[in-house]
Amino acid sequence: MFKDVDEYLIQLKKQLKHSDPALIQDALSDAEEHLRNALEGAQKENSDISEDKALQSIIEKYGEPIEIASAYREIESRISPSLSSDVSQKTRSHFARFFGIFGDSQAWATSLYLIFSAVTGCIFGLWTLFGAGLSLVTLIFIIGLPLLGLYLLSLRGIALIEGRMVEALLGVRMPRKSIFVQKDLSLTEKLKVLFTESQTWKIFVYLITRFPLGLLYTFGLLTLFAFSIKFMTYPVLGPVFDQGLITLGGQKYYASVLLYPFVSLAGFLSLTLTLHLAKILGKTHGRYAKAMLVRKG
Amino acid sequence: MYGYQIAKLIEAYDESVQMMKQGALYPVLRSLENSGLLESHVDPSVSGPPRRYYTITKAGQETLEAWARIWNQTKAFVDTLLEENNHV
Repeated sequence: MFKDVDEYLIQLKKQLKHSDPALIQDALSDAEEHLRNALEGAQKENSDISEDKALQSIIEKYGEPIEIASAYREIESRISPSLSSDVSQKTRSHFARFFGIFGDSQAWATSLYLIFSAVTGCIFGLWTLFGAGLSLVTLIFIIGLPLLGLYLLSLRGIALIEGRMVEALLGVRMPRKSIFVQKDLSLTEKLKVLFTESQTWKIFVYLITRFPLGLLYTFGLLTLFAFSIKFMTYPVLGPVFDQGLITLGGQKYYASVLLYPFVSLAGFLSLTLTLHLAKILGKTHGRYAKAMLVRKG
Repeated sequence: MYGYQIAKLIEAYDESVQMMKQGALYPVLRSLENSGLLESHVDPSVSGPPRRYYTITKAGQETLEAWARIWNQTKAFVDTLLEENNHV
């Protein structure tokens, strides 16, 4: 018997252990969508029903993890390999894969996340530091403890928002609900759990490191984009605005007209590489966010 | 319609008989989408996880009509056989 949806998903994941990661992702998101919708429906119909009881009857109809895992494997084995996007990606030539980055929505979404990460990182980092300072200072007063509790809860809220952004823009599956604290605990006990749980401090560290990382991502990426676009448009905009190709110590260096096609090409290649770099950075950051913001087990 | 709505619709036809587990419907939907017979988009939901809405494509509609024709022919053939068997 499963006490909540997450427990069911863990079991389903175990049953699909050796399957393709995309299949696991599909099966988990389908199961989560169905179970949560069904649970919501069941609780609307009968508000007194407990979550585990409602879930038990839902799972009877939906299927045990072992049955669902076998259904996915069976259907997957019937699908022609050519229909799998993963396979088609692997069979594309290196050339198509390299320049195909311009048509890769994930690369653009990741770039958007990274470009705005200085702003979001600044908000997250400043709130984390300001809140920590304020909570420490007010601890000597009576309002100190409730304020600390609110502050720690706010960190979890921010972690959830960041998780949603990471999932939407970096494509890394993140929790869709905030980490809950047991409902039957007293306020002091809840505060104690919040304060002693390592997850709270992992979120704290993540939000603080998010500030310098955000600055690095934003300014690094903007510089590379600006450099690439400048080179690409240099043959047109350079002569019109009397721009040097490179300016060093106040001295402008111009490219000869004969080199214009190569300058443009270099800019285009640099833009392509920047998008690849953004995608790699996004993936790495997504893994870091998952390690820090998602509670294990 | 999203998966849960489709599952409820199938269930509503005859609650006494469960033809298959509702969870087995989802890989079928995904495989129909891979074959170009359905298309889907994900919409966020206020209260729960995002929902994947499925719509039948033109090719899906044509295939459905073809399957319905074959099914009706097969059904008529089997009905005739059974009827003749009853008369024997």
